[in-house]
Amino acid sequence: MSRKHDVQQPKAEVAPEVMAIHLKMKRRQKLGRGMIYLAAIVLSLWVLIPIIFITSMALTTPEMVRAYPKSILPFIPFSLDTLRFFLGSYGILDGIINSVIVAAITIVLSTLIAAPAGYALSRYIFRGRDVFRLSILAVRAFPIVVLSIPLAVAFLNLGIYDNVFSLGLMHTALVLPTAILVLSSVFASIPYELEEAAMVLGCSPVQAFRHVVVPLVLPGIAASAIFSFVLSWNEVFAASILTIQNRTLPAQVLATLSYSPDPYKFAGSFFMLIPAVIFIFIIRRYLFNMWGQVTK
Amino acid sequence: MTNQLKPPKRKKINWAPYLLIVPSFVYLLVFFAWPMVQSLILTVREDDVLLRVREDPTQTSPGIGSLERGVSVEILDQQANVISEDDLSEPGLITEVWYEVQVTDETGTMVAGWASEQRFRVRETDEDGKPIMATVRPIIGVDADPLTPIYSEPSTAGEIIAELNAQTPVDILSQRTLEIWFQISGEVDAKLITGWVQSRYIRTFPESTEGRIDRGDTGHLTFKYIRRMFNDRFFWPAFKTTLLLMVIIIPIQFILAIIMALVVQAKIKGSSIFLGIFSIALGVSDLAVGIVWYAIFTHYGYLNSILQGLGLISAPITYLSADTRHWIIIAIVLAEVWRATSLVMVIIVSGMQSISQDVLEAAEVFGATLWQRVTHVILPLLKPSLQVALILRTILALQVFAVVMAIGGGDVVTVLARETYRQYYDLRNFNMAAAFSSFILILSMIISVFYLRAVRTEQEASG
Repeated sequence: MSRKHDVQQPKAEVAPEVMAIHLKMKRRQKLGRGMIYLAAIVLSLWVLIPIIFITSMALTTPEMVRAYPKSILPFIPFSLDTLRFFLGSYGILDGIINSVIVAAITIVLSTLIAAPAGYALSRYIFRGRDVFRLSILAVRAFPIVVLSIPLAVAFLNLGIYDNVFSLGLMHTALVLPTAILVLSSVFASIPYELEEAAMVLGCSPVQAFRHVVVPLVLPGIAASAIFSFVLSWNEVFAASILTIQNRTLPAQVLATLSYSPDPYKFAGSFFMLIPAVIFIFIIRRYLFNMWGQVTK
Repeated sequence: MTNQLKPPKRKKINWAPYLLIVPSFVYLLVFFAWPMVQSLILTVREDDVLLRVREDPTQTSPGIGSLERGVSVEILDQQANVISEDDLSEPGLITEVWYEVQVTDETGTMVAGWASEQRFRVRETDEDGKPIMATVRPIIGVDADPLTPIYSEPSTAGEIIAELNAQTPVDILSQRTLEIWFQISGEVDAKLITGWVQSRYIRTFPESTEGRIDRGDTGHLTFKYIRRMFNDRFFWPAFKTTLLLMVIIIPIQFILAIIMALVVQAKIKGSSIFLGIFSIALGVSDLAVGIVWYAIFTHYGYLNSILQGLGLISAPITYLSADTRHWIIIAIVLAEVWRATSLVMVIIVSGMQSISQDVLEAAEVFGATLWQRVTHVILPLLKPSLQVALILRTILALQVFAVVMAIGGGDVVTVLARETYRQYYDLRNFNMAAAFSSFILILSMIISVFYLRAVRTEQEASG
């Protein structure tokens, strides 16, 4: 902060050379600013245009979806026919219901299991803490592809194959690492002093947790639950491997992908995309916090 | 803001944190560690391929050799034997029901013993339909022994305690399902072995004493699946494409993500809006994104519409066909970059937030250009974040799947995960699927170890 002051002070009596340098820097700053805006707008368009495309395809008539050349202007004519056609297709409503059930199981289980671990990671220094954190991170990156095949064989042997509940178990494993990391950053954002103060004032550790920490972390836990929902909602490989009759929405779309018409595909893509995009947009702050913790 | 506040280290071991992490630890062990090991085992183990042939028709009898699955055998003899309740659902069982009967023999003494239901004609049943009274069937045939033996236990291995004449009335006390054992002889290594096996492992042919070993009861180590994977016609294309995609996608993603992060950190007006837009793709499903880019690249898609609208082409170009592999790859690259750059950006932005503003301002004041600031100040300070992002992205790139399926259909351009799916889903070959997935696992491990090693040596070098 103080350095900024030093630069601005010489303004009073400036030597021409200094003035020239100053102007040059200012010009460069302006130029840089313009460049940054340009980059920001170009990158935003890069992100937004495909979403606009798929949205306008999903929210128009099936005839328009097949038309060529397509109008670049979105939603002309606006219609829910394509979406209705998709939702009325075989297996889609069941798929949505299954997806929601699987996601609900995932949310409940992952929160119950991850919350204590997140708390431990954020509040205690213990032997093996770093190893545990590292292994969570490693597991987070681990191939779903590798897990699905042996679990499918095991589920077959146990007689719980093709079952939304066993898929929920699998998805819980999938989201658990992220849930632990998100929750650990959520707990870490609540000063330990608050808990200490409560204990000094006569609370037991459990009471302190119950009356001080829990109310403060509820939004964070909600965020973690939303994130778990999105991961489970999006997951397609394990869902396709572990189910046959009781497919989730992405598994159903994937299974029929090669022979389904374009309006079906586009509406399906839109339907999978939108809830996830909205949810992640709501909780993005927590994801930044999580990675801030992890990479420290 | 998220500074971690840790309580002072305690001297006594505090068990609370361990108790708190136990559930997660166990869960990850069951759903990560165990499947990983299983995947490797499935790759090198062939189950149910050898059938142990036993000296006598009992489970405990010593084996005298093993016959391979598929071998033709001669069925010499058969006899019924006890089977455990749990095994009754085994496929391929050939069973026989035996009755425990009570009868008064010629000498007037009461005997109770076992014989096959085939030997009796049921005369009376109770209200549940259970037989309670029967008579011994006459044995038709010249050579046949006219007497029906009653055994001390439900097996022909048991001792014969009585022999009954035809038409003798008996009371039925209980019944039991027995499994047939076959005495077979078959060839192994040009040597004939003869012994007893359970019928469930043998496929019999009607009106013939010939049979075939349907499955074995023991497995063995094999490199068959690994060999078959390397010889699979899709393996090398899949492997090469996966690596190619990784090598193209990751650098583009990192450059884009760093630019995004710089834009967000530049403190221009509306930077939070831009951050919001850039992080949109964080939550998108890969299948949905694949379809989005399919909508752009398909024959009557957006790209052709735009090009034709601009007058650059007169008829739509076909991008996604077997003859235009490169276009499929380009579409996949764009889709993956579009989808997963935001993850890298989030990691980099969170890393940047921990860089002290003073350092950046100092660099600016001393006249460093943006390029100089990025290469000499920001990137070196971002190293930990970049490393995490790099490991994560590389391993995730090995799993690219749904995007490939949605854009290219998964045949013209194929990747390792797609081949795993093909083996499991289309060909129903679990072992081959496990071989492919284990290959991905081992690649991921090699890459992680490589990165971690690189990080460690750097740390050692810097002290």
